Amino acid sequence: MKVPTEWLKDYIELNAPLDELAHKLTMAGLEVEETIKLSRRDFASAGGSGTRDEIVWDVKVTPNRGDWLSITGVARELGPIVGSRLRMPSVDVVETAPPSSEFISINIDDPQLCRRYVGVVIRNVKIKKSPGWLKDRLIAAGMRPINNVVDVTNYVMLELGQPLHAFDLRLLHGAQIIVRRAREGETITTIDGVERELEQDMLVIADADRPVAIAGIMGGADTEISEQTQDILIESANFNSTSIRRTAKRLNMVTESSYRFERQVDPSIAVTAAMRAAQLIYELGGGEIARGAVDVYPTPVEPLTLTVRPHRANAILGTSIASADMAGYLNSLEINTSVENGILKCSVPTFRSDITREIDLIEEIGRVYGYDKLPMTLPRSSMQGKDSPEGAFRDKLRRILMSCGAQEVLTHSLVDGKLAELAGKADIRLVVRNPLSEDLDSMRVMLMPNLLQVLARNQAFGTSSLSIFEIGKIYYRNGDEIGEKLSVAGAMVGSQWKRAWSLPPKALEADFFLCKGVVESLLDGLGIAGARFARTENPLLHPTRAAKIIVGDREIGILGEIAPNVADILDVRGRPCAFEIDFESLMSVTPDVLKYREVPRYPALYRHLAVVVSDGVDYQDVEQTVIDSGRGLIEEVDLLDLYKGEQIPPDRKSLTLSMVFRSPERTLTDEEVNTVLAEVKEALSRNVGASFR
Amino acid sequence: MALRRVLEATSSAELDSVEIEYLGRKGELTQRLRQVGSLPPEMRKEFGQTVNRIKEELVKAIAGRRETLAAAEVSVRLAKEAVDVTLPGRFYQVGRPHVLVETLNRIKQIFIGLGYEIVEMPEVESYKYNFAALNYPEEHPALDEQMSFYITDERLLRTHTTAYQHRVMEKRKPPMRVCTLGKCYRVDAVDATHGHTFHQVDCFTVDHGITMADLKGTLQQFATEMFGKRVEVRFRPDFFPFVEPGAEVAVTCTICGGKGCSVCKGSGWLELAGAGMIHPNVLETAGIDSEEYTGFAFGFGVERMPMLIHGINDLRLFMENDLRFLRQL
Repeated sequence: MKVPTEWLKDYIELNAPLDELAHKLTMAGLEVEETIKLSRRDFASAGGSGTRDEIVWDVKVTPNRGDWLSITGVARELGPIVGSRLRMPSVDVVETAPPSSEFISINIDDPQLCRRYVGVVIRNVKIKKSPGWLKDRLIAAGMRPINNVVDVTNYVMLELGQPLHAFDLRLLHGAQIIVRRAREGETITTIDGVERELEQDMLVIADADRPVAIAGIMGGADTEISEQTQDILIESANFNSTSIRRTAKRLNMVTESSYRFERQVDPSIAVTAAMRAAQLIYELGGGEIARGAVDVYPTPVEPLTLTVRPHRANAILGTSIASADMAGYLNSLEINTSVENGILKCSVPTFRSDITREIDLIEEIGRVYGYDKLPMTLPRSSMQGKDSPEGAFRDKLRRILMSCGAQEVLTHSLVDGKLAELAGKADIRLVVRNPLSEDLDSMRVMLMPNLLQVLARNQAFGTSSLSIFEIGKIYYRNGDEIGEKLSVAGAMVGSQWKRAWSLPPKALEADFFLCKGVVESLLDGLGIAGARFARTENPLLHPTRAAKIIVGDREIGILGEIAPNVADILDVRGRPCAFEIDFESLMSVTPDVLKYREVPRYPALYRHLAVVVSDGVDYQDVEQTVIDSGRGLIEEVDLLDLYKGEQIPPDRKSLTLSMVFRSPERTLTDEEVNTVLAEVKEALSRNVGASFR
Repeated sequence: MALRRVLEATSSAELDSVEIEYLGRKGELTQRLRQVGSLPPEMRKEFGQTVNRIKEELVKAIAGRRETLAAAEVSVRLAKEAVDVTLPGRFYQVGRPHVLVETLNRIKQIFIGLGYEIVEMPEVESYKYNFAALNYPEEHPALDEQMSFYITDERLLRTHTTAYQHRVMEKRKPPMRVCTLGKCYRVDAVDATHGHTFHQVDCFTVDHGITMADLKGTLQQFATEMFGKRVEVRFRPDFFPFVEPGAEVAVTCTICGGKGCSVCKGSGWLELAGAGMIHPNVLETAGIDSEEYTGFAFGFGVERMPMLIHGINDLRLFMENDLRFLRQL
């Protein structure tokens, strides 16, 4: 809200430099966000007098403090800062016409939504331009001058915080004002020229026949003040904030009036504001003010009486402020406070609707005392801090994956729903009802598509080779159940060498096996033994280069080369590979404590064996056969080479294995090892149809 | 004569031939020694001793020379193996942490050190936890600052990590000292300083005798750990429905040290966090006796911190994942 500082001076003495006051106001909770210097030219170009310049504060009013949305409200807050009290404008009206009630009847049909309605009539007003001083004040406050009557209603709203509306009295049918809810099918053309359809729970101001204003938001065009207007009705009402907010949102309208009503307007000020407006209109446009306003106020709001226990205030604030000082602070904010039996007794004025219980007054005490004076301590009791199990595990995964050469990335959870379709999981995705744009309409169902997008983006930026990983949430729907869980995924494309001059360029080119190597390193790093890999199908993966990762009897994730059509759609060049593992599953198969096994004491013997099997035989079965038939003496089997070519039949492959033989009890002899090896060969022939080279 | 030839030998081979010439089976000295038997007895002793002394000297000289020559030959061989040490090293690409995750971890470690237990909380929240249980009245303007993405009528993406407060309070009993971190979402157009997704950290404690001074001290402690010893914390009143008294917390501008610069818009202060004493309504909604227990809570956005520390000027960089950016930090 714009606060012209010259205007402020009408109500409070500004006895210190403006910068200093702005700072103190900010430190009291009413932030002066900006200090604007308006020049004569600024005033002139906005239709003002152009005879002065002015400093204007732009203040940020928190949503709980509707009472700050007026110049007098800001002046009141300055009271404790400058050490004096607010001077409210004096209202002296010359009432010459018959009472307002002879010209208008006012009824509130819905007192829930309208606490008070004050109407005052002024007859024979001359509509004309406002004088320069009035125009300047409105311009300084960021409003546009229109005519004397409308300008006065705006002026008083800015001055006192009470939104007002002026009707052309003669255009109100039946000389009636009825505050009621809209009827089905009713419409109104508001003063901005827009015809609006009203809904049944919207509050309107109606005359005998039709709505003439959307209560608290905007008046109707049919009854607005024009140059022909002679008699006017000033409305000074108090509407329910929730109802105003709902209606304003539904109609997509925010006005100075609705903004204030949403933040609560003091019901006690209604008559003062109406008479203040009448006084100014009379001063600017002549006419006759009716004797007395019509004031419909079924249940007057009384000041709230609250108590504050000073020891409680000090216990909350961590201070030792004396009771008398506390009372002084509250009194400086016009909260009438006395100390009775060591307890503060406070009468909360009706403009402070934000204060409803003791704690609110404790905040006021703290505010005036000054937050900057609060001491600094730490909680007396100490507690044991710790990470969540997931957090600790996540860090472990990050360390291993980074040591595998993968760069950590962080991608958005709000994504294009098409990614879920690509992953074949469109049916479980969470859809956002009010997305910012179509390509942000869903929560991700997997991390893998996001990582592929990162690969593509980096390739476009010129980074053609990379390896990345992310640990983050994925989201799903299972019938009515909505859930989310952590997932860990990696993706790679291109050569994984940083620099490899003169080395074979393809040596570390990302492929299925390099990707699998990362997964195996991850499992190894976590101490997970006995993982198995089996063929699988996944819409994101190459149909014949995809595997699921199984630990025990639990499938914990997938890995593979990305399906060419998926890479195409996501614009990834080359042959990207990726894996994705369920975080919780991985955590559950990770041993808490790794047990030490004795380091072997006897020497090992080594053998190589070239096993020729048909292409359809899985390596895993060959390896398992070797282990199973090794009498427990084969400690390790590893693949040295995979050969296909002229020296063997076209539908067969040669696997060169290296084997480590060792006994935990004695030194093995060559003979023993040869015997076992013969048995292994026999088993290989039998089980996987192997021949030997 | 023999000694000189040993010392002048320029290769191991030459030395070998000298050795054979004098000490070999048919070598000069060997033959001389054989003559001892044919000499008159009175001369044998002296002659033998002389020849043996010469032989010993020669053996010693040869061994010394051999060592010198071998060393020279090794150094010649090694000289031939010289590489250009300025050629680049060969290595695979090393993985680095993401700067934002690293910042979150650093913050987490500071709070663990201050006795907070980290808890994991959902991002898809209910209206109840995100707003209602936090003392947000229905249809309140305070909601305008927290425009939410809705999944169903009741479920939304949390707009602040504060949503976890009631979840924790209804499951635990005081004393409580907990912290959560993670993604939050608001309907907000994307630019260099705003995004629809951002990260927050939230902490709260509920115990006997917790005061606002404790809150201030805790945040000062955090700021010191995070930004350094010279950073001061400033509190000023602010409004959040779930705390009362409420405060906005600022720290000395880390760029200019409080003198005023473009980053802090000349004020010398940077907004850090929203904070306050937990509103008695919030405690009571969770069934905690607000007379017996008090508590404080605070929360803040994370993106700002690495932006300040590393001089990053665009928030979008964090989740764009351009490796030319990520690999720098």
